[in-house]
Amino acid sequence: MTDIDVHHLAAAYALDALDDRERTAFEAHYGSCEVCRTDVLEFRHTLTQVADSLAASTPASLKASVMAEVATTRQLSPLLAPVVTLDERRRARSLMSLAAAAAAVVMIIVGVAAFRGGDGPDTFASDLARVMEQPDSKVLSLDSQGGAEGTFRVAWSSSLGEAVLMGENLPATPADKAYELWLITPDSSTAMYVLDPAKDGSVHHTLKATADPSAWAITVEPAAGSATATGDIIFVADV
Amino acid sequence: MGVLRAMRARPVDVVADPNDPLGDLLRRAGRGDQSAFAQFYDALSPLVYGVVLQVVRDPSQAEEVAQEVFVELWRLAARFDGTKGNAKTWAATLAHRRAIDRVRSEQASRVRHDRDANQTIREERDVVAAQVESSFDQVRVRRALLQLSEMQREAVELAYFGGHTYREVAVLLNVAEGTVKSRIRDGMIRLRDELGGES
Repeated sequence: MTDIDVHHLAAAYALDALDDRERTAFEAHYGSCEVCRTDVLEFRHTLTQVADSLAASTPASLKASVMAEVATTRQLSPLLAPVVTLDERRRARSLMSLAAAAAAVVMIIVGVAAFRGGDGPDTFASDLARVMEQPDSKVLSLDSQGGAEGTFRVAWSSSLGEAVLMGENLPATPADKAYELWLITPDSSTAMYVLDPAKDGSVHHTLKATADPSAWAITVEPAAGSATATGDIIFVADV
Repeated sequence: MGVLRAMRARPVDVVADPNDPLGDLLRRAGRGDQSAFAQFYDALSPLVYGVVLQVVRDPSQAEEVAQEVFVELWRLAARFDGTKGNAKTWAATLAHRRAIDRVRSEQASRVRHDRDANQTIREERDVVAAQVESSFDQVRVRRALLQLSEMQREAVELAYFGGHTYREVAVLLNVAEGTVKSRIRDGMIRLRDELGGES
């Protein structure tokens, strides 16, 4: 498909009138296309008014069923919002090939599901699966700098606007310090996330990542989070 | 090292939106507030159920799908992002998507109806006409739909109300796929101009 063809699918997409293959192709495209994003948003708002005109009286039993299921349904954690911009991009190389990193991700899903149980890891695994399903998804392993212990891997999809971060074997930080993740883009803006490893030194987070990263980095900052990077980079990966 | 030069902080944009009270209910629901979610349900259940019923047709299946939609809205409430449309649009979008998922999976697992395409189109139009008759909003939407050309309206209605892909619409109407794509696009642009597309 040419770009023009893809643009022309915005209306059909908003109507849910694409088959799975085209829907996937369009979703991969429109995350990075301002024109299509605006079109879809506007068409959806238009269709909401059409939907309004279809309002029908609901069956009496529906509310009770919904609220009963709600009472026993765990909610997903919020995607953490970017809060900081930086002015400089950090350059580095990734050591692992994409394929090797992807294999490692699969290992981690298995490990998480096998050893941790409960809702959290399930949520994380489904978040990770959703990201990896995207045609534009990427996986990188961050390089340790200056002998920092542990590993970090990140998988993300810019079209989906989500990233999942996995850390393993991380030493505990002092009580007044925390790991922070930085998303670095060529136009200098960077997002920051505070990470809180579990007792076993692992971190599993799903993050909002709408910017297209050119590098990922980890520093150690004050525990409350820092709006600016003050510590040395201890892990980094160039995209 | 210390090569990261951090300069300006960007404010976190998670604040109450006075223009989207339903969004505020959803954010409260995202913190586990079931009574806020009950209010959210009360406000949007006629829309959600109505959309699902329009596409699915069978009332008991429509009830199941509407329940799925609300439970999904509850699960995802903390991830509601007001910059991607207001809460009502999110609910309407999800309701239509889940209704479509239901009819397409049904279709895949079942032999298609024998009815010929023209018959299907007539029936779908009748349902639309019957439902859009009373309130001011309904009249407004119906009038807006009438601003579309006959061919545009047919394509948009078969897709949105009928739950067909544009390729299926092309088969139903016996015209080229590219033609249907254009009619859908032109029709939606016309409808947006009539009804407005901004939230």
